[in-house]
Amino acid sequence: MSSKMFDKTVDALGSSIDFRLLRNNVISGNVANAETPGYKAKKIDFEEALSRAIDISGLNRLSTDHGDHFPVGPGAISRVRADVYDNPDVNVSNDGNTVDLEREMANLAENTILYKAAIQLINKKMAALKYVAAEGGR
Amino acid sequence: MDFSKAMRVSSSGLAAQRMRMNSISSNIANINTTRSPEGGPYRRKDVVFEAIPDSKNFGDVLTTVPDQSIQRVQVTDVEVDRGAPLLKYEPDHPDANADGYVAYPNINLMEEMANMIQATRAYEANISSMQATKDMALSALELGQ
Repeated sequence: MSSKMFDKTVDALGSSIDFRLLRNNVISGNVANAETPGYKAKKIDFEEALSRAIDISGLNRLSTDHGDHFPVGPGAISRVRADVYDNPDVNVSNDGNTVDLEREMANLAENTILYKAAIQLINKKMAALKYVAAEGGR
Repeated sequence: MDFSKAMRVSSSGLAAQRMRMNSISSNIANINTTRSPEGGPYRRKDVVFEAIPDSKNFGDVLTTVPDQSIQRVQVTDVEVDRGAPLLKYEPDHPDANADGYVAYPNINLMEEMANMIQATRAYEANISSMQATKDMALSALELGQ
């Protein structure tokens, strides 16, 4: 059992919330520009980098045997960066716009649900800690 | 990276689509107008959208790259159709020319209606994304409860 009260889970959920907010902003930008000629739809990736940093399977573990060595391996969860780029997997319309409104709306709904799910998970984690703090001594 | 950014971007989309709706309404209302302040028949108006980076102040320029790629939309120009007007033979019309032809605006009603539906849907999409942002902001308030 981990000796830390706030383990990787809360860190990962916290980063996930940050990235989902960023994704929400990116999708909002795409929806607002759905009719702008020449606008290229943006996409944001963070899942893979985050899962590498969380490293549940332990396969990515790589360590140094001296404190002065350069850090190796996936790095801390807080240092995961999201990647925003022009979505290459699109259809280009006559005016050069690449926004697929249906897809954006589906992503938006999914993103909102997963954002709320992450918040609920943090709350459950806190509830468990609260329970231990209040009832553990009895 | 904040909620107000998404709200600003979505509201820029709403404003742009409303402006587009205004120009479509103007086109439909003036489909038979033969006189205008510029002289000649009414000319079809069309809005031009442009994506601009959403940065409010100098500090925003220095923020992270992902945040800069979020762009809002604005109406940069209202384009006036310079095409030839539709000529109809109506010798009794007060605006008829020497040959008896009246110049009417070259507006296709079906086209305007299709644009109107498109603008309505785009407006609704922006409302939905605003709603999603609001949902997220409200659920963030429940964090730790």
